[in-house]
Amino acid sequence: MSLVEKFEEHYKEKLVRPGNGCCPGCGGSLAWRMLLEALGKNTVLYGGAPCAGCAMRVIKLPRFGFHFSFVGDGASGIAAAFKVKGREDITVFSSAGDGGVGDISFGKVSACAERNDNFIQCCIDNEAYMNTGIQKSGLTPYGAWTTTTPTGKKSKKKMIPMILAQHRIPYLATLSIAYPQDLMKKVRKAKEIRGFRYLHLVMPCPTGWRFPASKTVEVARLAVQTWIWPLYEVEKGILRLTMKPKQRPVEDYLRLQGRFRHLTEDEIAEIQRSVDEEKERLLERDGKNIWL
Amino acid sequence: MPMTKVMEGNEAAAYGVKLSRVEVIAAYPITPQTELISTLASMIARGELKAEYIKVEGEHTALAATAAASAAGARAFTASAAQGIVYMEESIWMPPGMRLPVVMCIVNRAIAPLGGLRPDHNDSLLQRDTGWIQIYCENGQEVLDTIIQAYRIGEDKRVYLPVAPCYEGYVVSATATPVEIPDQEEVDDFLPPYKHEMYSLYPENPRSPPRLMRSIAEARYEVQQAMERAKKVIEEVDREYGERFGRYYDGMVEQYRCEDAEAVMVTMGSITGTARDVVDELRAEGKKIGLVKLRVFRPFPTEEIQEIGKRVRAIGFVDRNTSYGAVAGCGIGCIETARALYPLDEHPLLLNYFVGLGGSDVTIPQLRHIAKRILKAAETGKPVKDVEWVELEKLEE
Repeated sequence: MSLVEKFEEHYKEKLVRPGNGCCPGCGGSLAWRMLLEALGKNTVLYGGAPCAGCAMRVIKLPRFGFHFSFVGDGASGIAAAFKVKGREDITVFSSAGDGGVGDISFGKVSACAERNDNFIQCCIDNEAYMNTGIQKSGLTPYGAWTTTTPTGKKSKKKMIPMILAQHRIPYLATLSIAYPQDLMKKVRKAKEIRGFRYLHLVMPCPTGWRFPASKTVEVARLAVQTWIWPLYEVEKGILRLTMKPKQRPVEDYLRLQGRFRHLTEDEIAEIQRSVDEEKERLLERDGKNIWL
Repeated sequence: MPMTKVMEGNEAAAYGVKLSRVEVIAAYPITPQTELISTLASMIARGELKAEYIKVEGEHTALAATAAASAAGARAFTASAAQGIVYMEESIWMPPGMRLPVVMCIVNRAIAPLGGLRPDHNDSLLQRDTGWIQIYCENGQEVLDTIIQAYRIGEDKRVYLPVAPCYEGYVVSATATPVEIPDQEEVDDFLPPYKHEMYSLYPENPRSPPRLMRSIAEARYEVQQAMERAKKVIEEVDREYGERFGRYYDGMVEQYRCEDAEAVMVTMGSITGTARDVVDELRAEGKKIGLVKLRVFRPFPTEEIQEIGKRVRAIGFVDRNTSYGAVAGCGIGCIETARALYPLDEHPLLLNYFVGLGGSDVTIPQLRHIAKRILKAAETGKPVKDVEWVELEKLEE
């Protein structure tokens, strides 16, 4: 079998076709491959953003969407239509970026969660408006440079998963492309649950975070290992940390990225303190009900 | 057997939705639309209407969920008014461009700040450029009938466009009149189940319309062509409805006592009922006045207006809207009428009358004043004023 034939054989089974318009090293193309692998063929995709979603126009599934100010709402409509038609076997998967979920459509996502509409909402979070060229969003972390925070963001990242947890939704999880087994296990689990399910995936963006395209997975792994992006799930209120890595200093993660280049040692120490505190809080609540 | 019941306009609308066997509703409450959506909720709760009702958190979502449900193969409905329509503006552009035949009732209400809860037509007319078919209803019966017709028109594959039945808040929405409710079986026969040839979101057989044809201009031209084709479809559907159910609304425009008229008054929506009485009074006095009810504003009935324009000496457009700073200080209806008349070799005089802005009452004395001014212009060949804000005028007896 020639290499070309092997390629064709491989992609025959996959839900993506080879090639896409993503930036080199985009975490999104990896994320989409893993998500689709776990979601399977009986799926409808709703939403276009973030940019990796737009760039991957070669997904072999029915897709529908409007604009990034429409997160979740169309999925509610599709899920309602499928219910009327007796087709609740189809997984409705709604994707959006951090600006969509956390800022402009935050009210919509909250309302879908409150109604417990029957679909999976995924936030593919690259921590800024990358499609428009790196502008700050509510999910940009403290200290990060963007074109609208040239001296670094002064406020902290909005913790969407924990806010949605308080909506008492049946399932939510945080994901990382550096841990594909964990990621796919959570997606498969979400697929089997009815009602509103939320997945939040932090996706390194070499273009916007200013690191070499070859380091995407390393950056994603360091986010988890430093406990900046802890991996957990919340099922019926019970928090479970799915990964408890030996903690590495935040500096290892921050120093790899140009967007944090200007941070002083004091600022890095402050970030470390805040991460340590949050880690403690999570560990205290691990295995417990976190619904307030 | 059809049954007649006294009901408010909003309840009539709910019956129209129910008889159309709508499958997904997504709506957010706003006065004066609320009785419509709460009646639908009751119908679902009683098991009379088998639909999924998404109680959304705002109008922007209401229409988006409605449109997505339509793409996923369900007949879908929403309704709103005034601030709600403006708030959903971004969503409003989606169904026409995506060729989704949803139906949305616009229960006309004046937009704040220079408006209250009561009706004028600025909320729906603001949407005239978006690609929605707009049909203005005079009373509860017409609302019910128009909703059923709206699905037939929008879902016709020559059209595939969204339709907005528009009716004024309070004056129509909350006024109880006798309304005949057609038989479900007969409506089923008239309105077959919804099936979109361009769309399928089912994974076993996915289908979506070509996003871009050769160019965006071509896709837009296709929407424009669909609008043009809709004129014929609206006429066909209304005629067939008339044959089956005994109520024909004259398609695009209704002409009342226009045969030998020298002057005509053009109205939209509920004002027409009052204007009909005024025309009757003046006809009894021997005045050659007629009334044109502009039932469909989009697509605009250019040919019908031109045909009337050839026969009369003066046309007065009664506008229940404002378009600040527009050409010659005119209202939206008058501007459109002017372009329709422009190619004629000989123009009738075209006058413009603002009434009922922000929901003030449109009275018989006001409409009588308007009719007399149009008649005077037809007689003398010279208008007293081209554009009048009737509420601010000293009325003619």
